[in-house]
Amino acid sequence: MSVDAPGITLEDLRRLADLARLELGDGEATALAADLARILGFVRQLQELDTAGVPPTAHVMELATPLREDEPDAPLPPEEAIRNAPAHEGTAFLVPQVLDSDEA
Amino acid sequence: MVAALGTLRELAHALEAGTCSAHELVRQSLERAEALEPALGAYLGLRAEAALREAEEADRRRARGAPRSPLDGIPVAVKDNLAIRGEPLSCGSRILRGYVSPFTSTAVAHLERAGLVVVGRTNLDEFAMGSSTEHSCAGPTRNPFDPERTPGGSSGGSAAAVATGSVPAALGSDTGGSVRQPASFCGVVGLKPTYGRVSRLGLVAFASSLDQVGVLARSAEDAALLLGVVAGHDPADSTSLPQPVPDYAAALSGDVSGLRIGIPKEYFPEQGGNAAVFERVRAAVAELVSAGAREVTVSLPHTRHAIATYYLICTAEASSNLARYDGVRYGHRSPRARTLAEMYRRTRSEGFGAEVKRRILLGTFVLSAGYFDAYYRKAQQVRTLIRRDFERAFEHCDLIATPTTPEPAFRLGERERDPVSMYLSDIYTVSVNLAGLPAISVPCGEVGGLPVGLQLIAPPLGEPEVLRAADAYQRRTDWHRRRPAEAA
Amino acid sequence: MPRAGSRYEVVIGLEVHTQLRTRSKLFSEAPVTFGEKPNHAVTPYCLALPGTLPVLNARAVELAIRAGLATHCTVHTHSVFARKNYFYPDLPKGYQISQYEEPICTGGWLEIEVPAAGGEEPQRRRIGITRIHLEEDAGKSIHDESLFGEGTLVDLNRAGVPLLEIVSEPDLRSPEEAGAYLRALRELLRAIEVSEADMEKGQFRCDANVSIRPEGSRELGTRTELKNLNSFRFVEEAIAAEVGRQAEILDAGGRVQQATLLYDPDRRRTRVMRVKENADDYRYFPDPDLVPLRIDPARIEAIRAELPELPEARRARFEAELGLLPREAAALVRNRSLAEYFEAAARAHGDPRAVARFLLRDLLAALGDRQPDETALPPEGLARLLRLVDDGRLTARSARDLLPELLERGGDPEALMRSRGLEAVSDAGALGGVVEEVLREHPGEVASFRAGEQKLLNFLMGQVMRRTRGKADPASVRELLLRRLGQGG
Ligand SMILES: [Mg+2]
Ligand SMILES: [Zn+2]
Repeated sequence: MSVDAPGITLEDLRRLADLARLELGDGEATALAADLARILGFVRQLQELDTAGVPPTAHVMELATPLREDEPDAPLPPEEAIRNAPAHEGTAFLVPQVLDSDEA
Repeated sequence: MVAALGTLRELAHALEAGTCSAHELVRQSLERAEALEPALGAYLGLRAEAALREAEEADRRRARGAPRSPLDGIPVAVKDNLAIRGEPLSCGSRILRGYVSPFTSTAVAHLERAGLVVVGRTNLDEFAMGSSTEHSCAGPTRNPFDPERTPGGSSGGSAAAVATGSVPAALGSDTGGSVRQPASFCGVVGLKPTYGRVSRLGLVAFASSLDQVGVLARSAEDAALLLGVVAGHDPADSTSLPQPVPDYAAALSGDVSGLRIGIPKEYFPEQGGNAAVFERVRAAVAELVSAGAREVTVSLPHTRHAIATYYLICTAEASSNLARYDGVRYGHRSPRARTLAEMYRRTRSEGFGAEVKRRILLGTFVLSAGYFDAYYRKAQQVRTLIRRDFERAFEHCDLIATPTTPEPAFRLGERERDPVSMYLSDIYTVSVNLAGLPAISVPCGEVGGLPVGLQLIAPPLGEPEVLRAADAYQRRTDWHRRRPAEAA
Repeated sequence: MPRAGSRYEVVIGLEVHTQLRTRSKLFSEAPVTFGEKPNHAVTPYCLALPGTLPVLNARAVELAIRAGLATHCTVHTHSVFARKNYFYPDLPKGYQISQYEEPICTGGWLEIEVPAAGGEEPQRRRIGITRIHLEEDAGKSIHDESLFGEGTLVDLNRAGVPLLEIVSEPDLRSPEEAGAYLRALRELLRAIEVSEADMEKGQFRCDANVSIRPEGSRELGTRTELKNLNSFRFVEEAIAAEVGRQAEILDAGGRVQQATLLYDPDRRRTRVMRVKENADDYRYFPDPDLVPLRIDPARIEAIRAELPELPEARRARFEAELGLLPREAAALVRNRSLAEYFEAAARAHGDPRAVARFLLRDLLAALGDRQPDETALPPEGLARLLRLVDDGRLTARSARDLLPELLERGGDPEALMRSRGLEAVSDAGALGGVVEEVLREHPGEVASFRAGEQKLLNFLMGQVMRRTRGKADPASVRELLLRRLGQGG
């Protein structure tokens, strides 16, 4: 499998920033596009390697699946749960209005 | 200035002999830390009041003849990406401004159970992403041997604190070399255990499949003592290893006869890097050989792909791990946001520094539709090849020796402009994380007045072997006793 | 629904999210609650505090296996948890832990009863189940009026509650079939105690993928996704409305756009929430905090052995062994508690068909929304009651009249019959006297009857019944009267 030199356009970067919920200034975006293009240019070396049939490693250790008994524990005291909240109403977190069209 | 603290072993002896109290040690630690800050920038916060109170409790326990462990009452420092109940947890990021953790990480809980006193939270690259401790919202930590240079990173604060003797030892975390590289740059011992050996519960995630809590200390013996405290199975971490923890200190026999030390030819190139560094590392291996070890040549052919593999995997995981910093439940929230969409974008843009954003964007790209197979999946496959390289090499040797870094500490700001050159400084450390292996960095000389580190790598759960070899080396040399001049 | 049924074939696939019956959440020890105050059932993990990690709930895995076995799926000994990345305030980690490429169960089916027109016996069909996987529920965004549109409240009590997502093949061909599938699935999940599947508590939710194609076409049309259908009625209505909308578009020569829609039950119309220009990019990848889920094959077999009899097997047995009509068997197995009650009563009584008829006609009416096992009348009591009817000591009507009290207070049906004085008068001697009396008192009617006015028989019967206060067995009264009036036989 091979991938063409991944030029990162400003438009690509905007799409990524959108997915990652980052707001980038114009200068920042230009610099980051250049950085990413460099980094991707560097990691392209992997495409030279033939990895057909090589299983991927997601975890280095083979472990039996650790399971927990279905025993509920005491929840956090509610005042503790919202202690770090930037805004709250009672014990609920408060955020700006979520609109139907709002994809956050 | 108050004197530097001794080693864990020395302090434990002093406490046992009654020649000093825990309260005195903790006060000395705090005073020394305060005197060295802010020029050093090793700490993000000191727990003066709490630490002194805990020291008094340790003294009372010892007076009753019931210390929690031989290390009860000894001050240590903890990298500020390990949660401590009731304490700020910043990860060197603006986005966690004001955040106080309601729970304690398992590693720190183990310290507390052994009676060790956490005197402060140490500086780091934001979310442990970096190799220089420059990317901290609180400003950089400086190298104790040269304030114009970096201490390495991301556990640069812990390394500098140990090097300057405000604490005898500290905890760090190592995702791609973040314990070993700063240990090397600051002339201390840094040990990254096998993946899963120390619980990650309460360690703020950077790249979950690579992150591992490690220890920084002045000697291999101290590293063994501290690892023995923090290692162990934790049912609250699904990637924690169930194997029992051996007595690491008991493994330090000083005997390396018959030990086969593998020299990976790819790690000692004819050119590139700093020739003096390679010379020091070769001399260190020769020292072990003269003590009875045997040198064998091995090959790790996929090493040259380790950095690329590492940056694809760690940024992919990081882009997801850092999605939770959204300003909803804790941390920074942009005051300029009127809609929810603005709140997300502005909060994250104001809260994260440039390097973190760079990695989030790269990771987002790597996982995105159309690129996943060519980048993320490919990197996971190469990760398999890198693991197999090690498995094959360990058929011929017991330990692998390499430089920890190809060069000594670089200058502050030197690699700021070029992320790839910064990433390349981790060339000898990241493959160890990709394979989940234990490795140690031991001071083995100086180049231009700057420390150089020898890295020893073992198969999974080979901590006793790397510690024994490192300790044997330190019994024959005294590089680890050198301190930076200013702080002497 | 303009002409849709005649010219287009409807293709529906359903994605059901059902809440597993566990006490704690999928990856944390937080309790599973309902109706609790905001953020009163959360742990640091539920809040996605820095440094928190997931540990899988063993019970949730067991329930997922059970659901997979009950739907004839392959239960995989190796499955993988993946992160589905997206931002929303009720999603605290910024990703949902779900299963993606390697779910726990794949390739099963569920048998449904397709409603048939006008009195025909229902048809049965197998609806394919593509996959079943485990995942976390999200929290809840509350749009509180009192905030005057200033903000939204976020409650994470539900965040992390274990869900099973059950995805069907696009095998359903009408809104009614979709409804039948959902009912069968819910009944099954309840029968095997995997989920309470209470729709009102949001424990059983459905998304529908709907497309239409010209009849005879093999190609699938562009599908739209209907979200959050939270009652059976809405599912059928919403799909019907959406089929109509798509048919109108195609009829007008237009093209259906891939979109996510919501159903507006007041206006009985679907409304486009969001057009999918390019597919969502959830950036799924294996969760590095969780190792693959490995299940011992022996464990799967042990769970299979413990499974109760499934509704469809029970239905087949009721038909084959107990001789019930397909309609009766289907009606009984729709409710597990009723089916079990029926079997016990039938065993005690001996005539399954008679018991089934009484249950489906009289008992169901008397139960209201109670389950039979929640009442004071055990199945054996019901069998005794029916035996009194068989023996002619109690009329069917009196038996029905006794039900409310028996269900409420229990006790011996025969004793209750006596205390209410409802013992049937059926022997010729006792009834004969009453009949003679009635004939004597109504000579005009008797004469008219004999002259051919047949309907007067009912009048005379009514007189006898009134005099016996309903205790007379109508068949015996009729026989006696006819004999006396000279038309017996
Ligand atoms: Mg779905
Ligand atoms: Zn789902």
